[in-house]
Amino acid sequence: MPACTVPAVLERDSSAEHELIERLRSGDEGAFASLLDRYYQSMLHVARGYVASKEAAEDVVQDTFLGVITGIGTFEGRASLKTWMFRILVNRAQTRGEREGRIRPFSSVSDGRDDPAVDPARFEGSGRWAGYWSTPPTADLLPESGVLAAELGTRLLAAIEVLPEAQRTVLELRDVLGFSSHEVCDLLEISEVNQRVLLHRARSKARAMLETYVDDGRDW
Amino acid sequence: MIGSAVRCSELVELATDWMEGSLDGVALGQLEEHLAVCPHCRSYVTQLRTSIGLLGETPREAPPASARAALLQAFREGVSPDGR
Repeated sequence: MPACTVPAVLERDSSAEHELIERLRSGDEGAFASLLDRYYQSMLHVARGYVASKEAAEDVVQDTFLGVITGIGTFEGRASLKTWMFRILVNRAQTRGEREGRIRPFSSVSDGRDDPAVDPARFEGSGRWAGYWSTPPTADLLPESGVLAAELGTRLLAAIEVLPEAQRTVLELRDVLGFSSHEVCDLLEISEVNQRVLLHRARSKARAMLETYVDDGRDW
Repeated sequence: MIGSAVRCSELVELATDWMEGSLDGVALGQLEEHLAVCPHCRSYVTQLRTSIGLLGETPREAPPASARAALLQAFREGVSPDGR
């Protein structure tokens, strides 16, 4: 399966990134703590796709941060810091997974490929309006207050745990961490089309979960 | 909506391709034509965007305290102020 092409120059906010790298190199603990707080849990989620247990994933993440500590001095900045860190993570997770005899993940996207984005019962089944909404989505879904948005976001992050692994990993990288499709294809060694299929399934399910929370839980 | 080349059940399957900019001219035109006349599908797309936005804006919880402390200790020992 061909991986998609990665552009030579990856987009990034170069001045803020440069400053962060300099702070890390000068031993600024706060800068390193910010990386831990921001990426540790996401890395754990990505690593889980490759290895057999949560404990093994924790080892991989720990190992990755140790790799960041030893490598930051010679990091050349050809990719963004985040991309570089996640490459270290995926390399280590792959190695560990292979040692455990695990089948390489993402070798197939049959994983949920045929799931419909929306329950077919919500569309008219026959007649002139077949395929049009019979139970349409609610129009005013947007949380009005920041508190509600934070609460919903936290629930949604917890809910996506139940997605099939490949879908969950793509969603984590694309929508939680903000990687581009090129970067995700490159990291996971999957084609652009497969990446999009996984993303589509995952995003469709995340939307459905959000809709359920909002429609069922207007009391909170 | 009568006569629309794309039905709502098809639009929801094309939404990601559309948002990713991977629809070609004809399909793109048909999808956008449908969206222009179908408020329910516009709500659907808004919900998708809301959920994507929430995933990106909500911070994940902090690492377990013991793992965080151990890695901060490793950082203190591993990176000297001269940037080595």
